[in-house]
Amino acid sequence: MRNGGEGRTRLLLIILIVTSLFLITLDLRGVKILDGVRGGTQNVLAPFQKAGSTVVSPFRNFIGDITNLGRTSDQIEKLKESNAKLRARLAQRKNADAELAQLKSVLDLAGQAGYKVVAARVISQGASTSFSQTVTIDIGTSSGVRQNMTVLSGEGLVGVVKESYANSALVMLATDPDFKVGVRIAGSQQIGILSGGGSKRASLQLLDNQNVVKVGDVLLARGSTNNRPFVPGIPVGVISAVDSSAGSIAQSATVMLYPNFSGLGVVSVVLSAGKNNPGDALVPAGPQPTPVPTVTIYTTPSPTASAK
Amino acid sequence: MLLRQFSISSLIFILVFIIQESVINQLRLPAGGFSLILLIALTWAALSNPTAGALTGFISGVLMDLSQSSSGPMGHWTLIMILACYAVAFLGSGNDNVRGTPVTNIFLVSFACVVTLTAFVIIGLLLGMSAGSFSKILITIFSNGIWALLVTPLILPLITRLHVVVLGDQARI
Repeated sequence: MRNGGEGRTRLLLIILIVTSLFLITLDLRGVKILDGVRGGTQNVLAPFQKAGSTVVSPFRNFIGDITNLGRTSDQIEKLKESNAKLRARLAQRKNADAELAQLKSVLDLAGQAGYKVVAARVISQGASTSFSQTVTIDIGTSSGVRQNMTVLSGEGLVGVVKESYANSALVMLATDPDFKVGVRIAGSQQIGILSGGGSKRASLQLLDNQNVVKVGDVLLARGSTNNRPFVPGIPVGVISAVDSSAGSIAQSATVMLYPNFSGLGVVSVVLSAGKNNPGDALVPAGPQPTPVPTVTIYTTPSPTASAK
Repeated sequence: MLLRQFSISSLIFILVFIIQESVINQLRLPAGGFSLILLIALTWAALSNPTAGALTGFISGVLMDLSQSSSGPMGHWTLIMILACYAVAFLGSGNDNVRGTPVTNIFLVSFACVVTLTAFVIIGLLLGMSAGSFSKILITIFSNGIWALLVTPLILPLITRLHVVVLGDQARI
Protein backbone atom coordinates (compact mmCIF):
# COMPACT_ATOMS: atom_id res chain seq x y z
CA MET A 1 0.00 0.00 0.00
CA ARG A 2 2.89 2.28 0.78
CA ASN A 3 4.30 1.59 -2.71
CA GLY A 4 1.81 3.56 -4.73
CA GLY A 5 -1.32 2.25 -3.09
CA GLU A 6 -2.05 5.39 -1.10
CA GLY A 7 -3.94 6.95 -3.99
CA ARG A 8 -6.15 3.87 -4.25
CA THR A 9 -6.80 3.91 -0.50
CA ARG A 10 -7.78 7.57 -0.60
CA LEU A 11 -10.09 6.95 -3.54
CA LEU A 12 -11.72 4.06 -1.67
CA LEU A 13 -12.09 6.23 1.44
CA ILE A 14 -13.74 9.00 -0.56
CA ILE A 15 -16.12 6.52 -2.24
CA LEU A 16 -17.12 5.04 1.13
CA ILE A 17 -17.65 8.46 2.73
CA VAL A 18 -19.72 9.64 -0.24
CA THR A 19 -21.77 6.43 0.01
CA SER A 20 -22.49 7.06 3.69
CA LEU A 21 -23.40 10.69 3.02
CA PHE A 22 -25.69 9.48 0.23
CA LEU A 23 -27.40 7.13 2.70
CA ILE A 24 -27.81 9.94 5.25
CA THR A 25 -29.32 12.20 2.60
CA LEU A 26 -31.74 9.51 1.44
CA ASP A 27 -32.81 8.79 5.02
CA LEU A 28 -33.29 12.46 5.93
CA ARG A 29 -35.37 12.91 2.77
CA GLY A 30 -37.63 10.08 3.95
CA VAL A 31 -36.91 7.42 1.32
CA LYS A 32 -39.00 4.43 2.40
CA ILE A 33 -36.63 1.77 1.07
CA LEU A 34 -34.25 2.40 3.98
CA ASP A 35 -37.08 1.96 6.50
CA GLY A 36 -37.93 -1.30 4.75
CA VAL A 37 -34.34 -2.48 5.11
CA ARG A 38 -34.37 -1.71 8.82
CA GLY A 39 -37.76 -3.39 9.21
CA GLY A 40 -36.53 -6.45 7.33
CA THR A 41 -33.47 -6.64 9.56
CA GLN A 42 -35.66 -6.51 12.65
CA ASN A 43 -37.89 -9.29 11.27
CA VAL A 44 -34.79 -11.43 10.74
CA LEU A 45 -33.41 -10.58 14.18
CA ALA A 46 -36.64 -11.15 16.15
CA PRO A 47 -36.27 -14.98 16.42
CA PHE A 48 -32.63 -14.59 17.47
CA GLN A 49 -33.65 -12.03 20.09
CA LYS A 50 -36.35 -14.35 21.45
CA ALA A 51 -33.91 -17.23 21.64
CA GLY A 52 -31.28 -14.95 23.15
CA SER A 53 -33.75 -13.72 25.75
CA THR A 54 -34.36 -17.29 26.90
CA VAL A 55 -30.68 -18.25 26.91
CA VAL A 56 -29.46 -15.06 28.53
CA SER A 57 -32.16 -14.78 31.21
CA PRO A 58 -30.14 -16.69 33.91
CA PHE A 59 -27.15 -14.37 33.35
CA ARG A 60 -29.43 -11.33 33.24
CA ASN A 61 -31.03 -12.43 36.50
CA PHE A 62 -27.59 -12.94 38.02
CA ILE A 63 -26.55 -9.43 37.00
CA GLY A 64 -29.90 -8.15 38.25
CA ASP A 65 -29.36 -9.90 41.59
CA ILE A 66 -25.99 -8.23 41.94
CA THR A 67 -27.45 -4.85 41.00
CA ASN A 68 -30.46 -5.28 43.30
CA LEU A 69 -28.94 -7.00 46.31
CA GLY A 70 -31.57 -8.40 48.62
CA ARG A 71 -34.14 -9.01 45.91
CA THR A 72 -34.89 -12.20 44.07
CA SER A 73 -35.09 -11.09 40.48
CA ASP A 74 -36.67 -14.31 39.29
CA GLN A 75 -39.49 -13.96 41.79
CA ILE A 76 -40.06 -10.33 40.84
CA GLU A 77 -40.18 -11.29 37.15
CA LYS A 78 -42.79 -13.97 37.88
CA LEU A 79 -44.87 -11.54 39.92
CA LYS A 80 -44.69 -8.93 37.16
CA GLU A 81 -45.79 -11.46 34.56
CA SER A 82 -48.65 -12.55 36.81
CA ASN A 83 -49.68 -8.92 37.38
CA ALA A 84 -49.73 -8.18 33.66
CA LYS A 85 -51.88 -11.24 32.90
CA LEU A 86 -54.33 -10.33 35.63
CA ARG A 87 -54.45 -6.73 34.48
CA ALA A 88 -55.23 -7.78 30.90
CA ARG A 89 -58.08 -9.96 32.19
CA LEU A 90 -59.44 -7.14 34.32
CA ALA A 91 -59.43 -4.80 31.35
CA GLN A 92 -62.06 -6.98 29.70
CA ARG A 93 -64.28 -7.07 32.77
CA LYS A 94 -66.04 -4.27 34.51
CA ASN A 95 -66.16 -5.86 37.92
CA ALA A 96 -63.03 -7.36 39.34
CA ASP A 97 -63.46 -10.38 41.56
CA ALA A 98 -62.29 -10.51 45.12
CA GLU A 99 -59.21 -12.60 44.37
CA LEU A 100 -57.68 -9.65 42.56
CA ALA A 101 -58.06 -7.32 45.52
CA GLN A 102 -54.41 -7.55 46.53
CA LEU A 103 -53.42 -6.40 43.03
CA LYS A 104 -56.08 -3.70 42.92
CA SER A 105 -53.72 -0.77 42.74
CA VAL A 106 -52.08 -2.16 39.61
CA LEU A 107 -55.08 -3.73 37.94
CA ASP A 108 -57.31 -0.67 38.36
CA LEU A 109 -55.03 1.07 35.91
CA ALA A 110 -56.52 -0.84 33.00
CA GLY A 111 -59.71 -2.16 34.59
CA GLN A 112 -61.26 1.10 35.70
CA ALA A 113 -60.44 2.76 32.41
CA GLY A 114 -61.79 -0.17 30.40
CA TYR A 115 -58.76 -0.42 28.17
CA LYS A 116 -58.45 -3.36 25.84
CA VAL A 117 -54.83 -4.44 26.23
CA VAL A 118 -52.50 -7.16 25.02
CA ALA A 119 -49.56 -8.32 27.15
CA ALA A 120 -46.04 -8.49 25.75
CA ARG A 121 -42.58 -9.49 26.90
CA VAL A 122 -39.61 -7.19 26.51
CA ILE A 123 -37.14 -9.14 24.39
CA SER A 124 -34.44 -6.57 23.78
CA GLN A 125 -33.24 -3.25 25.03
CA GLY A 126 -31.65 -0.57 22.85
CA ALA A 127 -27.87 -0.23 23.09
CA SER A 128 -26.60 2.64 25.21
CA THR A 129 -24.44 3.75 22.29
CA SER A 130 -27.55 4.70 20.34
CA PHE A 131 -28.33 7.49 22.86
CA SER A 132 -32.01 6.62 22.60
CA GLN A 133 -34.23 4.77 25.07
CA THR A 134 -36.08 1.95 23.36
CA VAL A 135 -37.13 -1.64 24.00
CA THR A 136 -38.35 -4.33 21.63
CA ILE A 137 -41.44 -6.38 22.56
CA ASP A 138 -42.37 -9.83 21.27
CA ILE A 139 -45.71 -8.96 19.66
CA GLY A 140 -46.42 -6.99 16.52
CA THR A 141 -48.96 -6.45 13.78
CA SER A 142 -50.06 -10.10 13.98
CA SER A 143 -51.37 -9.34 17.50
CA GLY A 144 -53.01 -6.08 16.49
CA VAL A 145 -50.16 -3.82 17.59
CA ARG A 146 -49.81 -0.76 15.42
CA GLN A 147 -47.62 2.32 15.38
CA ASN A 148 -48.47 5.01 17.96
CA MET A 149 -50.19 2.78 20.50
CA THR A 150 -49.80 3.38 24.24
CA VAL A 151 -47.61 0.95 26.20
CA LEU A 152 -48.27 0.41 29.94
CA SER A 153 -46.73 -1.37 32.88
CA GLY A 154 -48.34 -1.98 36.25
CA GLU A 155 -47.06 1.36 37.49
CA GLY A 156 -48.14 3.57 34.61
CA LEU A 157 -47.10 4.89 31.20
CA VAL A 158 -44.06 3.11 29.73
CA GLY A 159 -43.94 4.64 26.25
CA VAL A 160 -45.37 4.45 22.79
CA VAL A 161 -45.03 2.00 19.89
CA LYS A 162 -42.58 3.62 17.47
CA GLU A 163 -42.43 0.89 14.83
CA SER A 164 -44.49 -2.27 14.43
CA TYR A 165 -43.37 -5.39 12.57
CA ALA A 166 -44.97 -8.79 12.02
CA ASN A 167 -43.94 -10.38 15.33
CA SER A 168 -42.21 -7.59 17.21
CA ALA A 169 -42.49 -3.89 17.87
CA LEU A 170 -40.11 -1.12 18.87
CA VAL A 171 -41.26 0.93 21.86
CA MET A 172 -39.94 4.40 22.55
CA LEU A 173 -39.69 4.73 26.33
CA ALA A 174 -40.93 7.76 28.22
CA THR A 175 -37.31 8.37 29.22
CA ASP A 176 -36.23 8.96 25.61
CA PRO A 177 -35.07 12.53 24.96
CA ASP A 178 -37.44 12.66 21.96
CA PHE A 179 -40.45 11.53 24.00
CA LYS A 180 -43.20 14.10 24.62
CA VAL A 181 -46.66 13.61 26.09
CA GLY A 182 -49.44 16.01 26.97
CA VAL A 183 -50.28 15.68 30.65
CA ARG A 184 -52.62 17.16 33.20
CA ILE A 185 -52.30 17.40 36.94
CA ALA A 186 -54.81 15.26 38.79
CA GLY A 187 -57.19 17.44 40.75
CA SER A 188 -56.26 20.90 39.52
CA GLN A 189 -56.54 19.82 35.85
CA GLN A 190 -53.66 22.08 34.80
CA ILE A 191 -52.17 20.95 31.53
CA GLY A 192 -48.58 20.81 30.35
CA ILE A 193 -46.06 18.95 28.26
CA LEU A 194 -43.79 16.29 29.71
CA SER A 195 -40.45 15.63 27.99
CA GLY A 196 -38.15 12.64 28.55
CA GLY A 197 -34.72 13.41 29.89
CA GLY A 198 -32.72 10.24 29.37
CA SER A 199 -33.39 8.96 32.88
CA LYS A 200 -36.31 8.31 35.21
CA ARG A 201 -36.54 12.05 35.81
CA ALA A 202 -38.53 13.92 33.19
CA SER A 203 -39.24 17.61 32.83
CA LEU A 204 -42.69 19.21 32.88
CA GLN A 205 -43.54 22.49 31.22
CA LEU A 206 -46.94 23.89 32.22
CA LEU A 207 -48.85 25.86 29.63
CA ASP A 208 -49.89 28.69 31.94
CA ASN A 209 -48.62 30.26 35.10
CA GLN A 210 -51.93 30.89 36.83
CA ASN A 211 -51.91 28.09 39.37
CA VAL A 212 -49.23 26.67 41.58
CA VAL A 213 -47.95 23.13 41.36
CA LYS A 214 -46.42 21.39 44.31
CA VAL A 215 -44.23 18.40 45.02
CA GLY A 216 -46.34 15.27 45.14
CA ASP A 217 -48.84 16.30 42.47
CA VAL A 218 -49.72 13.35 40.24
CA LEU A 219 -49.57 13.64 36.45
CA LEU A 220 -51.93 11.79 34.14
CA ALA A 221 -51.81 11.44 30.34
CA ARG A 222 -54.15 13.92 28.70
CA GLY A 223 -54.99 11.65 25.79
CA SER A 224 -54.82 12.12 22.03
CA THR A 225 -57.26 12.30 19.16
CA ASN A 226 -58.71 8.80 18.57
CA ASN A 227 -56.66 7.68 21.61
CA ARG A 228 -53.43 7.45 19.64
CA PRO A 229 -50.65 7.75 20.57
CA PHE A 230 -51.95 8.21 24.14
CA VAL A 231 -55.10 7.05 25.86
CA PRO A 232 -56.32 9.45 28.56
CA GLY A 233 -55.98 9.02 32.28
CA ILE A 234 -52.85 6.85 32.54
CA PRO A 235 -50.62 7.70 35.53
CA VAL A 236 -47.34 9.13 34.23
CA GLY A 237 -45.40 10.28 37.28
CA VAL A 238 -45.27 12.47 40.32
CA ILE A 239 -43.73 15.91 40.68
CA SER A 240 -40.50 15.64 42.65
CA ALA A 241 -39.23 19.23 42.38
CA VAL A 242 -40.68 22.55 41.26
CA ASP A 243 -38.65 25.18 39.45
CA SER A 244 -39.81 28.36 41.09
CA SER A 245 -37.49 30.79 39.30
CA ALA A 246 -39.01 34.27 39.23
CA GLY A 247 -39.98 35.84 35.93
CA SER A 248 -40.54 32.60 34.04
CA ILE A 249 -43.46 32.63 31.59
CA ALA A 250 -44.64 29.16 32.48
CA GLN A 251 -43.89 26.96 35.43
CA SER A 252 -41.62 23.98 35.02
CA ALA A 253 -41.02 21.02 37.28
CA THR A 254 -39.08 17.79 37.54
CA VAL A 255 -41.17 14.64 37.41
CA MET A 256 -40.31 11.19 38.72
CA LEU A 257 -41.82 8.70 36.26
CA TYR A 258 -43.70 5.78 37.80
CA PRO A 259 -42.40 2.68 35.96
CA ASN A 260 -39.10 0.99 36.77
CA PHE A 261 -37.60 1.18 33.27
CA SER A 262 -34.45 -0.78 34.07
CA GLY A 263 -36.50 -3.78 35.16
CA LEU A 264 -39.16 -3.90 32.46
CA GLY A 265 -40.11 -7.52 31.83
CA VAL A 266 -43.76 -7.60 30.87
CA VAL A 267 -45.74 -4.66 29.48
CA SER A 268 -49.15 -4.18 27.91
CA VAL A 269 -50.08 -2.44 24.69
CA VAL A 270 -53.43 -0.63 24.72
CA LEU A 271 -55.34 -1.76 21.63
CA SER A 272 -58.36 0.43 22.35
CA ALA A 273 -59.55 2.68 25.15
CA GLY A 274 -62.93 2.60 26.90
CA LYS A 275 -65.82 4.77 25.82
CA ASN A 276 -65.54 7.04 28.82
CA ASN A 277 -62.56 9.11 29.89
CA PRO A 278 -61.45 7.69 33.27
CA GLY A 279 -60.64 11.18 34.55
CA ASP A 280 -58.66 11.03 37.79
CA ALA A 281 -59.79 7.49 38.60
CA LEU A 282 -56.37 5.98 37.93
CA VAL A 283 -54.40 8.19 40.32
CA PRO A 284 -52.28 5.81 42.40
CA ALA A 285 -53.17 5.64 46.07
CA GLY A 286 -50.64 7.50 48.23
CA PRO A 287 -48.89 5.82 51.13
CA GLN A 288 -51.12 5.46 54.16
CA PRO A 289 -49.84 7.35 57.21
CA THR A 290 -48.72 5.03 59.98
CA PRO A 291 -50.40 5.86 63.29
CA VAL A 292 -47.84 6.98 65.83
CA PRO A 293 -48.65 6.02 69.43
CA THR A 294 -48.60 9.01 71.79
CA VAL A 295 -47.37 8.64 75.33
CA THR A 296 -48.54 11.08 77.99
CA ILE A 297 -46.46 11.36 81.12
CA TYR A 298 -48.00 12.77 84.26
CA THR A 299 -45.74 14.00 87.03
CA THR A 300 -46.79 14.71 90.57
CA PRO A 301 -44.53 16.56 93.04
CA SER A 302 -43.23 14.25 95.73
CA PRO A 303 -44.33 15.13 99.30
CA THR A 304 -40.75 15.06 100.63
CA ALA A 305 -39.59 17.65 98.09
CA SER A 306 -42.44 20.02 98.98
CA ALA A 307 -41.71 19.62 102.70
CA LYS A 308 -38.16 20.85 102.17
CA MET B 1 -8.46 -6.71 0.62
CA LEU B 2 -9.70 -9.32 -1.81
CA LEU B 3 -13.37 -10.01 -2.44
CA ARG B 4 -13.10 -13.34 -0.60
CA GLN B 5 -11.55 -11.65 2.44
CA PHE B 6 -14.19 -8.91 2.32
CA SER B 7 -16.96 -11.53 2.22
CA ILE B 8 -15.54 -13.51 5.14
CA SER B 9 -15.06 -10.30 7.15
CA SER B 10 -18.67 -9.34 6.41
CA LEU B 11 -19.92 -12.71 7.64
CA ILE B 12 -17.91 -12.35 10.84
CA PHE B 13 -19.37 -8.89 11.48
CA ILE B 14 -22.92 -10.08 10.71
CA LEU B 15 -22.42 -12.80 13.32
CA VAL B 16 -21.11 -10.24 15.81
CA PHE B 17 -24.10 -8.00 15.02
CA ILE B 18 -26.54 -10.85 15.77
CA ILE B 19 -24.70 -11.58 19.04
CA GLN B 20 -24.86 -7.88 19.92
CA GLU B 21 -28.60 -7.61 19.25
CA SER B 22 -29.70 -10.95 20.70
CA VAL B 23 -27.31 -11.46 23.63
CA ILE B 24 -25.30 -8.40 24.69
CA ASN B 25 -28.29 -6.03 24.57
CA GLN B 26 -30.31 -8.46 26.71
CA LEU B 27 -27.77 -8.67 29.54
CA ARG B 28 -28.66 -5.18 30.80
CA LEU B 29 -25.15 -4.65 32.07
CA PRO B 30 -24.40 -1.89 34.57
CA ALA B 31 -23.82 1.61 33.17
CA GLY B 32 -25.48 0.76 29.86
CA GLY B 33 -23.06 -2.00 28.84
CA PHE B 34 -20.93 -1.88 25.70
CA SER B 35 -21.16 -2.29 21.94
CA LEU B 36 -19.37 -5.49 20.96
CA ILE B 37 -19.49 -4.72 17.25
CA LEU B 38 -17.90 -1.31 17.85
CA LEU B 39 -15.05 -2.80 19.89
CA ILE B 40 -14.43 -5.66 17.46
CA ALA B 41 -14.46 -3.33 14.45
CA LEU B 42 -11.94 -0.99 16.07
CA THR B 43 -9.74 -3.91 17.17
CA TRP B 44 -9.95 -5.42 13.68
CA ALA B 45 -9.04 -2.07 12.13
CA ALA B 46 -6.11 -1.62 14.51
CA LEU B 47 -4.64 -4.85 13.11
CA SER B 48 -5.30 -3.93 9.46
CA ASN B 49 -3.92 -1.56 6.84
CA PRO B 50 -5.92 1.64 6.12
CA THR B 51 -7.73 0.12 3.10
CA ALA B 52 -8.98 -2.84 5.12
CA GLY B 53 -9.67 -0.48 8.02
CA ALA B 54 -11.96 1.74 5.94
CA LEU B 55 -13.83 -1.28 4.55
CA THR B 56 -14.16 -2.72 8.07
CA GLY B 57 -15.65 0.58 9.20
CA PHE B 58 -18.08 0.50 6.29
CA ILE B 59 -19.29 -3.06 7.00
CA SER B 60 -19.67 -2.55 10.76
CA GLY B 61 -21.18 0.93 10.30
CA VAL B 62 -23.89 -0.30 7.93
CA LEU B 63 -24.77 -3.08 10.39
CA MET B 64 -24.91 -0.64 13.31
CA ASP B 65 -27.19 1.59 11.23
CA LEU B 66 -29.49 -1.39 10.63
CA SER B 67 -30.02 -1.85 14.37
CA GLN B 68 -33.49 -0.84 15.51
CA SER B 69 -32.03 0.94 18.52
CA SER B 70 -29.93 3.19 16.28
CA SER B 71 -31.21 6.72 16.84
CA GLY B 72 -29.53 8.48 13.93
CA PRO B 73 -30.39 8.38 10.23
CA MET B 74 -29.21 5.51 8.05
CA GLY B 75 -25.56 6.15 7.18
CA HIS B 76 -24.78 8.01 10.40
CA TRP B 77 -22.87 5.15 12.00
CA THR B 78 -21.43 4.21 8.59
CA LEU B 79 -19.81 7.61 8.21
CA ILE B 80 -18.43 7.64 11.75
CA MET B 81 -17.13 4.07 11.58
CA ILE B 82 -15.40 4.55 8.20
CA LEU B 83 -13.49 7.53 9.59
CA ALA B 84 -12.80 5.91 12.99
CA CYS B 85 -11.58 2.58 11.59
CA TYR B 86 -9.51 4.28 8.91
CA ALA B 87 -7.89 6.51 11.54
CA VAL B 88 -7.18 3.57 13.86
CA ALA B 89 -5.75 1.52 10.98
CA PHE B 90 -3.68 4.49 9.84
CA LEU B 91 -2.25 4.92 13.36
CA GLY B 92 -1.50 1.22 13.67
CA SER B 93 -0.18 0.68 10.15
CA GLY B 94 3.58 0.42 10.12
CA ASN B 95 3.87 1.39 13.77
CA ASP B 96 5.26 -1.53 15.74
CA ASN B 97 4.69 0.26 19.05
CA VAL B 98 0.97 0.21 18.39
CA ARG B 99 0.56 -3.12 16.66
CA GLY B 100 3.23 -5.05 18.50
CA THR B 101 2.10 -4.39 22.06
CA PRO B 102 -1.27 -5.67 23.29
CA VAL B 103 -1.46 -3.03 26.04
CA THR B 104 -0.98 -0.20 23.54
CA ASN B 105 -3.57 -1.78 21.29
CA ILE B 106 -6.09 -2.02 24.14
CA PHE B 107 -5.62 1.64 25.02
CA LEU B 108 -5.81 2.63 21.36
CA VAL B 109 -9.13 0.78 20.91
CA SER B 110 -10.57 2.17 24.17
CA PHE B 111 -9.54 5.71 23.29
CA ALA B 112 -10.91 5.28 19.77
CA CYS B 113 -14.19 4.00 21.27
CA VAL B 114 -14.56 7.19 23.34
CA VAL B 115 -13.63 9.43 20.39
CA THR B 116 -15.99 7.53 18.06
CA LEU B 117 -18.94 7.93 20.43
CA THR B 118 -18.14 11.61 20.93
CA ALA B 119 -18.00 12.12 17.16
CA PHE B 120 -21.27 10.21 16.79
CA VAL B 121 -22.98 12.56 19.25
CA ILE B 122 -21.55 15.71 17.67
CA ILE B 123 -22.49 14.68 14.12
CA GLY B 124 -25.86 13.49 15.46
CA LEU B 125 -26.57 16.86 17.06
CA LEU B 126 -25.72 18.53 13.75
CA LEU B 127 -28.21 16.21 12.04
CA GLY B 128 -30.91 17.03 14.60
CA MET B 129 -30.65 13.94 16.83
CA SER B 130 -31.69 14.19 20.49
CA ALA B 131 -29.07 12.65 22.73
CA GLY B 132 -30.31 13.60 26.20
CA SER B 133 -28.69 15.75 28.82
CA PHE B 134 -25.00 16.62 28.74
CA SER B 135 -24.31 14.68 31.94
CA LYS B 136 -26.08 11.61 30.55
CA ILE B 137 -23.97 11.77 27.37
CA LEU B 138 -20.79 12.11 29.41
CA ILE B 139 -21.70 9.15 31.62
CA THR B 140 -22.56 6.97 28.60
CA ILE B 141 -19.32 7.78 26.79
CA PHE B 142 -17.19 7.41 29.92
CA SER B 143 -18.78 4.08 30.90
CA ASN B 144 -18.33 2.78 27.34
CA GLY B 145 -14.64 3.70 27.61
CA ILE B 146 -14.37 1.75 30.87
CA TRP B 147 -16.18 -1.24 29.34
CA ALA B 148 -13.83 -1.05 26.35
CA LEU B 149 -10.82 -1.26 28.69
CA LEU B 150 -12.35 -4.33 30.34
CA VAL B 151 -13.64 -6.16 27.25
CA THR B 152 -10.89 -5.49 24.69
CA PRO B 153 -8.27 -7.64 26.50
CA LEU B 154 -10.75 -10.53 26.41
CA ILE B 155 -11.53 -10.31 22.70
CA LEU B 156 -8.08 -9.26 21.45
CA PRO B 157 -6.50 -12.78 21.27
CA LEU B 158 -9.50 -14.18 19.39
CA ILE B 159 -9.71 -11.24 17.00
CA THR B 160 -5.96 -11.43 16.34
CA ARG B 161 -6.22 -15.12 15.39
CA LEU B 162 -9.30 -14.53 13.24
CA HIS B 163 -7.57 -11.61 11.56
CA VAL B 164 -4.55 -13.76 10.70
CA VAL B 165 -6.81 -16.48 9.28
CA VAL B 166 -8.88 -14.09 7.18
CA LEU B 167 -6.45 -11.39 6.09
CA GLY B 168 -3.13 -13.19 6.39
CA ASP B 169 -0.21 -12.54 8.70
CA GLN B 170 -0.60 -8.81 9.06
CA ALA B 171 -1.12 -8.89 12.80
CA ARG B 172 1.81 -9.56 15.05
CA ILE B 173 0.31 -9.42 18.53
